[in-house]
Amino acid sequence: MLHNIKDNYITSVNNYIQNFDDKSFRKLAGKDFKSWPDPLEETWRLSRLGSLSRKKIEPISLDAQEPIMSKLNVVGSNTIKFINGAFRKDMSSNLPKGVSLIELNESESLTFLSKIKNSNLKNHPSANASLSCTPSIVKLSVDKNAKIEELLEIHFEGGVESSSVHPVLFVELNENSSLSIIERFNHIGSLIMPLQLIEIKDYASLNSIKVFDDSHESYNLAAHCIIMSHKSLLNSFSLIKGSQFTRSETHAYLNGTNAKLNLNGVYISGNKQHHDLTTAIYHNVEECISKQIVRGVLGGESTGVFQGKVKVAPNAQKTDGQQMSKAILISDKASANAKPELEIYADDVVCAHGATVGELDDDQLFYLNSRGISKDKARLILIKAFLLDIISESVEETLHDFIFNEAQSALSSILKNEIEEFV
Amino acid sequence: MSLLEIKNACLKLDNKNILNGVSLSINSGEVHAIMGPNGSGKSTLSYMLSGRDGYELESGEILLDGQSLSDMSADERARSGLFLAFQYPVELPGVGAMSFLREAVNSRRKFIGQEEFDHLAFVKEARKEASKMFVKDEMLKRAVNVGFSGGEKKKFEILQMAMLKPKVSILDETDSGLDVDALKIVSDGVNAQRSDDNAIVVITHYQRLLDYIVPDFVHILSEGVIIKSGGPELALEVEKNGYAGMINAA
Repeated sequence: MLHNIKDNYITSVNNYIQNFDDKSFRKLAGKDFKSWPDPLEETWRLSRLGSLSRKKIEPISLDAQEPIMSKLNVVGSNTIKFINGAFRKDMSSNLPKGVSLIELNESESLTFLSKIKNSNLKNHPSANASLSCTPSIVKLSVDKNAKIEELLEIHFEGGVESSSVHPVLFVELNENSSLSIIERFNHIGSLIMPLQLIEIKDYASLNSIKVFDDSHESYNLAAHCIIMSHKSLLNSFSLIKGSQFTRSETHAYLNGTNAKLNLNGVYISGNKQHHDLTTAIYHNVEECISKQIVRGVLGGESTGVFQGKVKVAPNAQKTDGQQMSKAILISDKASANAKPELEIYADDVVCAHGATVGELDDDQLFYLNSRGISKDKARLILIKAFLLDIISESVEETLHDFIFNEAQSALSSILKNEIEEFV
Repeated sequence: MSLLEIKNACLKLDNKNILNGVSLSINSGEVHAIMGPNGSGKSTLSYMLSGRDGYELESGEILLDGQSLSDMSADERARSGLFLAFQYPVELPGVGAMSFLREAVNSRRKFIGQEEFDHLAFVKEARKEASKMFVKDEMLKRAVNVGFSGGEKKKFEILQMAMLKPKVSILDETDSGLDVDALKIVSDGVNAQRSDDNAIVVITHYQRLLDYIVPDFVHILSEGVIIKSGGPELALEVEKNGYAGMINAA
């Protein structure tokens, strides 16, 4: 019975692509989309899609009604809009010099497909469903040597109940270029399956912030493939707060020597939300650095998952890979799972990982109490500090307040159920 | 009436007797030193007084300015005017020192019916007090105790004491980890706050601190009871002969 219902969405995706040529990228991707991940599969064990596969969902129609315009305030100086998964030039601002945005043609899309198929996203449901059903693959490219000062903001919005949304983005930073992007996901009532390929060429650097804040009945299954070259730098920070279920899965390939990756994230979960940050970092060459700090605050009956794998290839000597995850449970019914995993095949490496799940620190609470600060207030101060600390470390200073306010609004809604004196 | 009255305080931790009937009476304007060897119950006494969870009295009573502390939580005791300077001040990453101080000071001011400081007025006040303690402005911009040296941590404790204006301050091993210069600054900070309206309890291993903060009374704590009380000369006796002789005599 379950099996038949599961097949509904798979059938819808296959129907969607049936009129395309057999050799089109859509058909090629679609033929690999045969089922949802098995709950017994190791990487999906903690984030089961059971309730999702019981829903009746169709890929969003291209002429789906547009949403009432969002209330997203703009923080960047340039905004790019994706509505219902489609890039909307008419709603986007002009791009700064050195940045271009195009929709890929069929042959470029096939190349894009082959890059995804060469990565460990090849069987990811979002990779296959979104390549099948995306309105188009959009490529954002920064010219060689272009240092873009202005912040680029990308809004992913729209969504219709019982539909799936498929924004596919290719971000390419050419040699010695730099860019800062903030992406915000604000869909309503849908299954969102964003797929991204991020290629950072030699000496290029990218600051990337993602805020996942889809409506509370939404599912977001984001999949990212990152390819880094020699002396490239990526500072990535994700904040997951909205939706009923969000899993952000990232596979990062450090393919050039001296590449440096900071892959940090925060999730703030309440009610029955489920938030999952799954990452895999592949140190394929020597002298690369990867650092990862993940923090979660969980209230209500929410669940959090962090799965972080660091794989060091035999020739990737002098690798420095650090990973730290910490989750704080503020209600008895919340739970968090952390699964760090080191796979090291080289001998001259520095790798460390640590994961903790627990309550607030007693000594810290007592210190605050001993200064006249009430128990509830002290908890609040420590929870805020727990997040502020990593936000200030991960995010450019000009965006501290913005990100902290985003985190604070999520905290307010989960804490008001847990902390009486919440202000 | 005493400002702090400890009556026959008994306390167990993990079913082990730690305090076995401590009694002390401390009046306004007095400085008392409690000395004792390791494991005598000094830190337990300070946690018990300040109301840490798990350090509830088995029997006995404590009165602050006539009011029983037994049913009061740590934060209520602090707001009522009890202060503990920690032996090991706790680091609070992400909690700015200035906003922490303001939160603490305003909690106390609100409780005693004084107007709370607004941001600007507070910063001004904090800087004034900080400069007296040779605490740099830059330190107040950092997170509480994070990256502070041993001396800076202790100076920050005494700065908090100065700003909270407690009735009774308990200084737990405030001299530990201090070099001579820092010890002098910290002691001067404490001495500046001695007044007829408050009292100070100095808990220490060594006589050294008492050269700088001269007590009116010295008490020797051993195995959870006060075995001897006297004037400052008692501390010198400890310095000269150690605790062993006194304990044996008792």
